Amino acid sequence: MKTSLLAISLLVLALAAGAQEQAFTNRATDLKANPDGATVKALPENTAVKVLQRAGGWTRVDAGGQAGWVRVFHLRFPAVAESGSTSSGANALSGLGSALGFGRQKSQNTTIATTGIRGLSAEEMKNASPDAAALQKLQSYRADNAAAERFAREGKLNPQKVSYAEERR
Amino acid sequence: MKRLLIALVAASVLPAAAQFGGLGNLLNKGVETVKKVQEANKEFSTEDEIQLGNGITASVLGASKLHPDQNLQRYVNRVGKWVAMHSERAELPWSFGVIDTETINAFAMPGGTVIVSSGLVRQLASESELAGVLAHEIAHVVRKHQLSAIQSSMNSDILAGIGKEAAGQAIGRRGGDAFGLKSAAAGAGVEAAKNGLFLRPLDRGMEYDADRMAIVLAARSGYDPYGLVSVLQLLAQVKGDGGGASIFDTHPAAADRIGELEKSMPAIVDRLPAAMPQLEARFRQTVK
Repeated sequence: MKTSLLAISLLVLALAAGAQEQAFTNRATDLKANPDGATVKALPENTAVKVLQRAGGWTRVDAGGQAGWVRVFHLRFPAVAESGSTSSGANALSGLGSALGFGRQKSQNTTIATTGIRGLSAEEMKNASPDAAALQKLQSYRADNAAAERFAREGKLNPQKVSYAEERR
Repeated sequence: MKRLLIALVAASVLPAAAQFGGLGNLLNKGVETVKKVQEANKEFSTEDEIQLGNGITASVLGASKLHPDQNLQRYVNRVGKWVAMHSERAELPWSFGVIDTETINAFAMPGGTVIVSSGLVRQLASESELAGVLAHEIAHVVRKHQLSAIQSSMNSDILAGIGKEAAGQAIGRRGGDAFGLKSAAAGAGVEAAKNGLFLRPLDRGMEYDADRMAIVLAARSGYDPYGLVSVLQLLAQVKGDGGGASIFDTHPAAADRIGELEKSMPAIVDRLPAAMPQLEARFRQTVK
């Protein structure tokens, strides 16, 4: 009983971590034993891989039964919601699709706001009356500097000196 | 004859002004309101910017409820505040809120309020991914992207409509004066939200700019700076990238944003440690 419970929670964890994510190489690239390590094998463009893990600029993948590391930017991720494919990747993401509000606005097919934009419709905003009490509640969750610093120490987050590289365009 | 006409006109105009004294006052009040908003528009002080953001946030929260999980709210605030402390506007009263909706969603208000949807947070795999998303929004605030977009639309869309003070007073009645929401700036924020000004897509260049800055801010904060790249790879799978099926097709496609980051990231991450924390376990403890 305990074992099966553990198995289930591991499965959930694996799904949650996107372990079944399907990707393809977007150029000819190398599968490495370790990030920046020796080449295990050469992968042609459009090689299907499964994402296992991410670490910095590298992604650990399963390429046809062989695990290794590929550069993050050498992978492309197809739009599962539109592919209509029945691959395991699509199955893993079918729950994702429903969680993304596809059901809600089916007529538009996909109405997903990406980072930096908005999912609230113009209509919803027009009819909304401002909720000052909710604003106050939101602001009551603020963290002060001390709390944020403590939190960072607990996570072993070490600040780095990095400047913007915006001049290069 | 001509003189008589002038006299008649004068006679008809002057009493009119006296008769409609009430209307005259009302008009004057309207003019004052416009003036106030124009002033705010011309030169937003930081306080005005914060008030404007409060007005918009109050409106957003009128349309979409806060997620009830207080631990989640506090967690997101700690991550966000830590990242914001490494920005050029660390002194703003940074607030982060999770709204309870499955839609994938994140946006920033002028003055330092960032809203993310629980739908987005739940799709993430680690704290470094969350930090990447928040850093992107923080970058918009630091660069005042939304503020300038709202300001440039305000003249036509808001000043033409008046009624800002009335909107401010409506919130004042509902929630008390605690937030100074009666200010012209907050009223303008409410109006901006009603008109969907903040729903409009930002310039592509602004989005790329915010992505690039987000990498820097996440790295400064000690996070694995590739968190945002993973999020964009996730969004590429969800969105039907480049298909133009989305009503948000004015926004750069995730694949394009990844392509931009591939160009700019090497110079940014050049001297960083090879492995920086993603904090998946801590993220999973809070986000279930």
